[in-house]
Order: sequence, then structure tokens, then C-alpha cells
Amino acid sequence: MTGLLYISVRKTFGPTVALESLDLDVKEGELISLLGPSGCGKTTALRIAAGFEFADSGAVTVGGADITRKPAHKRNMGMVFQSYSLFPNLTVNLNVDFGLRTRKIGAPERKKRVAEMLELVQLGGMGNRYPHQLSGGQQQRVALARALAIRPSVLLLDEPLSALDAKVRLALRDEIRRIQTELGITTLLVTHDQEEALGIADRVGVMSSGRLEQLAPPAQIYSRPASAFVARFVGSMNELPAVVRGPDAVEVSGQTIMTPSALTRDVGESVLFLVRPEDVTVRDADQDGLAGTVTATTFQGASTVVGLRLDVLDVLIHAHLNSSTASHLAAGQRVSVQIDGTRGVLESLGAAPVVEDALA
Amino acid sequence: MADINPLAPGLPLAIDPEVGGPPTAPIGGIPPRAGRPIARFGRLGPNLVLILCAVFFLAPLLALARYALQNVPTILLGRSTLFKKWSLGGLTKAFSDKQFGPTLTLSLKLAVGTVFLTLALLLPTAIWVHMRLPKMRAVIEFVTVLPYVIPAIALVAGIVVVKPHARWFLDSNYSLVPFYVILALPFTYRSIDAGLRAIDLKTLVDASRSLGAGWGTTLRRALVPNLRTAIISSAFLTTAVVLGEFTIASTLLKNTLPTFQAIYVKREPQGGYGLNLLALVVTTGLFALLTLLTRKRGSRKSTAVVAVAATAGQARTLAP
Repeated sequence: MTGLLYISVRKTFGPTVALESLDLDVKEGELISLLGPSGCGKTTALRIAAGFEFADSGAVTVGGADITRKPAHKRNMGMVFQSYSLFPNLTVNLNVDFGLRTRKIGAPERKKRVAEMLELVQLGGMGNRYPHQLSGGQQQRVALARALAIRPSVLLLDEPLSALDAKVRLALRDEIRRIQTELGITTLLVTHDQEEALGIADRVGVMSSGRLEQLAPPAQIYSRPASAFVARFVGSMNELPAVVRGPDAVEVSGQTIMTPSALTRDVGESVLFLVRPEDVTVRDADQDGLAGTVTATTFQGASTVVGLRLDVLDVLIHAHLNSSTASHLAAGQRVSVQIDGTRGVLESLGAAPVVEDALA
Repeated sequence: MADINPLAPGLPLAIDPEVGGPPTAPIGGIPPRAGRPIARFGRLGPNLVLILCAVFFLAPLLALARYALQNVPTILLGRSTLFKKWSLGGLTKAFSDKQFGPTLTLSLKLAVGTVFLTLALLLPTAIWVHMRLPKMRAVIEFVTVLPYVIPAIALVAGIVVVKPHARWFLDSNYSLVPFYVILALPFTYRSIDAGLRAIDLKTLVDASRSLGAGWGTTLRRALVPNLRTAIISSAFLTTAVVLGEFTIASTLLKNTLPTFQAIYVKREPQGGYGLNLLALVVTTGLFALLTLLTRKRGSRKSTAVVAVAATAGQARTLAP
């Protein structure tokens, strides 16, 4: 068993609480991605696992063994960094060989393993090149090969794709997932890119201000966000002022919308009702619903984003519609807006946390 | 790879030459004529400055060369004797003095000792500051400039005060080494600091440690090879300082090459200036070699700047 376990890990830097009390269980062979805005503590969590930072309290175990106080070089963690971390003075071969040499493995075995790893990341034949002769994507592949060559107990990925351009990022993301599944290696990925986190992981942990807000499979994170923060951070949300009318209903501008999220709320409480743009539909103006006007349409290929201003609330919301259904809509057109509240989230008014810019 | 900024070695240029700079074509209909007078002045101005500087720098050196290499009495040195009795003998005249060999040997030993002590102290310190105490960088930088600001004579005054209490230490020729480490600090720290700024230190250290390397291996295999240029520069600069320092050696009554030069030039002016000229030529040659050696990886410009600075430093010690 080589699962990675955080038990009530707390870490502060001076007055800043980087991790409040993190409990996280990365099961053997699982890939968990920690997602959150900058400063949410995700990188600190990773660096604590790597041994570059030490927890103030709590414990970290790998395969049941406590590694909380073990120095980084004795942990057997494979790590890939955000910036290109290859040793510029060493060739690709020697970079991959670096960790094997520190482990005093015999030369024939080292040579074999280096070749194997370079094949695995599809860079066979590039062994004699220097890092500066490789593209960004190739450098990250070598970094991955180097991290895997030591046969680490856990693979730690610190935003490994963020320095790459979009196309390479996508290809390498799939590649990392393929290799991870192939080797069955326990992996923790840190990223601020939700597409990356949702696309690659078995489970996603959304973090905010040093706390793990929700840990769940990607689909669940998206469709059943545990908090308004998660709802806002993953995907986009429309925000409508509403009043709770029962255990499964809210009222928005005189219209009752059925939503299971009202269950724990008091009747009559004023709330913000968060709804995904794809749960908003648009009909002709003479039909039932919230009356509004189309402000803009943005064609995005398969789907079209429609901007809508609701008459009574005077708020601007967005709907993601199938391009064929949205084709007859034009700015200025009067419409009736329907909202499906089954995936909605409620938030108490006056306590709205500010979502930091994910790229900040 | 980004080129090195000659004004601030270690900091990459704002514009990566591979990516290209801002568009050179006029934007928004600005006529290209507008730039012409500036361009004309732009060619002339810097060239004029360069020529003036060259004359200012080279004229005394040529005069020195003439004095040292022409076997004509000083009073007869003039236009009529310009091409008479030139000889390279003046350069090596000092070699025959029995003091020359031992003082040169001592100075070279001191240089080696200073280089090693400097690197042993500075490398770990600079790495630690960069990794763990980035806020202290400005403070450390300020402290390392102090030896440049405070005249050596102040240091000497301090030595005189402690002399009676530390005779056991000051009696040894090698007691000069710590003083030279301090004197060389402004150059050596800057050189190492620039080298560290040019690499992604934190990531390299983290990568190395995650691959199972302890601090020793990390320093030896991941850092020193990537700081090669900085280390070589700092070693050369240290050597230049040691081979040019007179005040402290003289106060502590040590017979180093500069103190020998000072005495010898009075006894044998032509041979003395010949030796100074030779020292200058050798130093310049060494720095040219250093620039060649280190130009392979990136920071050739910073090395060149450092080399010019050091050559000038050596020239400063010419006339004791």
C-alpha cells in the first residue's frame, strides 16, 4: 500500500494560515487533483508531502509509514515542477539518471531504466540533447521521466502544464494520465486550471483559504458543489436574489423554482440562488417564466452564450444554449426565461466570499 | 534562452531576441523622417565618447610602455627618439631581482587561499540567502559594498589596534587572507549573486533533493556546474585584488608582490614600470581567456563587464 495520507495537517507562515487542518486520503493508484485559487494552500500541501516544508502539526504518511519529519531527499517522492526544472548542465540521459545515481544503482541497470523511461514519455533517441535544445513540452516529459525513474512511492505534480501552450498542454495532460494509469502510481496534482483538474483526476479537491471545501469525483464537483465557493470556482454561475419558500423551493421574482438546495434553510430567508448557465433556458416571450430581454449572443461553435437582462430584478444572467436553438435569438429580443433549479446552490446574503481570480 | 542584460548581469533583457522586440515599422503613420537626426547623432555621439575614453585610458599606458621599453634617458624622450632603442628587456628586468621570486610565490599562494576561503564562505551564504532569506538580500548586498566604500587604511587602523593582542596570528604571512577576502567581497559577492539570479535556484535545489540528493550532492552536482561562470569570475577577481593590494600588506610588513613592486620601482624605475606593464598585460590576457572560457554558456557579457572592471582595478594599483 502506498497511499498518501494527510492527518489534520496545519501550516502557517507567520500570521498567514496556509493550511488550516487538512485531512486528505490519496488512495493507492489514485490521481487526486487539488484545485484552488493562488494562496489557497494547495501548493503548500504538495510541498509538505515532498518534504520541502514541514507541517506545524498533524502528520503525513505514505503506505502507513509516518514521513512527517523525514527530510526531502529520503522520502522517495517523484516530483514535477511548474517551471522547467531540468539541470541545464546535464543531457536528457544524465537528467533522468540523476536520481538513480544518488541511489547508487549499478551502471547497467541505470542505463536500462533511463532508456525505458525515455521510451515511456516518447522521447527515445533524445537522450544526448541538452535541455535548451528541447521544447517546453519535451522538457516537461523529461522531468516526468526523471521523476518516475526513481520508482517513487508517490508522484507529485506541481502545476506541470501551466507553462505550456494550450495544444501541448492538452496532449501532455492525456499523456500524464495514460502513464499514471499504466504504472498505477499514487499521484497528487496541484493546479489552478479547473479544466485540467476535472479532466485528469479520479477525485478533485477544491481548496480555499487553507481549507478543503470539497473532495469528490469531477462530475459531482460540477453538478453538486458543496458550497457557493466551489460552485463559483468550478464552471460559471448566475446569481439571482431569492427567498426560501419551503424545503425544496425558492421564489425568484415571483416565480417559484423547485430546488433541493433549500432543504436546510429557514422559510422566508433571503438568499442568493446560484444556477449554472446550462440550466437556464429561453422561450418565446408569450410563454411562462421570467420576462427578460436578450442583451447579446456569442456564438461558440456547438453552443451559444446568450446574455439576458431580467425585467423585475434588473440582473444580467447568461444561458448556454445549443447553437441551433439559439439561432433565432438576437439582441433586443423579448423572451421568457426558465430556470432548472435541481443543481442550484443557495448562499446566505451578506456572507458572500470573494472568489479570487483563478489566474492571479 | 534569454540574453543577459549588460547593465544588470543576471537579469535577462526585457526583450527576448528570439521572440523579437517591439515592431520597428512606424505605427500610426508616424513618418520615419522624425527619427533621422537622432540616428545621425546616435552614431556620432557614442563614438566620440568611446574615442575620448580610449585616449584617456590608453595615453598613460602608451607613455608607460615607452618609458619601460625604450632605453633612452628620460630627458631625451621626445619625437626625435620615438623609434630608437626599443627593447622588451624592461618587462623582465625585475625577474632577476632575488626578491621577485619569493614575493610572487607568496602572492600567488595568498591568491589561492583567498579564492578558496571566499568560495567556502560566500557560496553557501549566498545560496542560503537566496533560498531562505530573500528579504536579507539588500542588507547583505549593502554590507558587501562596505569594503569598497571604507578605505583600506581604516581597516589597517583597526589592525594596528588589535596587533598587540593577535601577534600569533598577524605574524603569519597567511594572516592577510581574511583581509583579502573582505577586500574582494564587493566583487566576489556580486559575481556569485548574479550567477544565482541567472538560475532557477529554488527549483534546481528542490528537484535535486526530491531525487534523493543531500545538500552536499546538490551543491556539487546541481549548483556548482551551473554557477561555473560566476565562480570562475569571482576567482579571477579575487586574484586581481590579491595581486594588486599594497596598503594592508605593507602595514603588516609582508613581502608580497605589490610591496616588492613599490620598493623596486624606486630602486629601478624602468624595471619597476616594466613589471607593472607586464602585470597589466598578463591580467588583461587572463581576463580575455576567462571570457573565452566562459562564453560557451550564456553570460559572456557579464563576464566581459567583470573583466573590464577588474582590469581597471588592476590598473589602479599601477603606481604605488
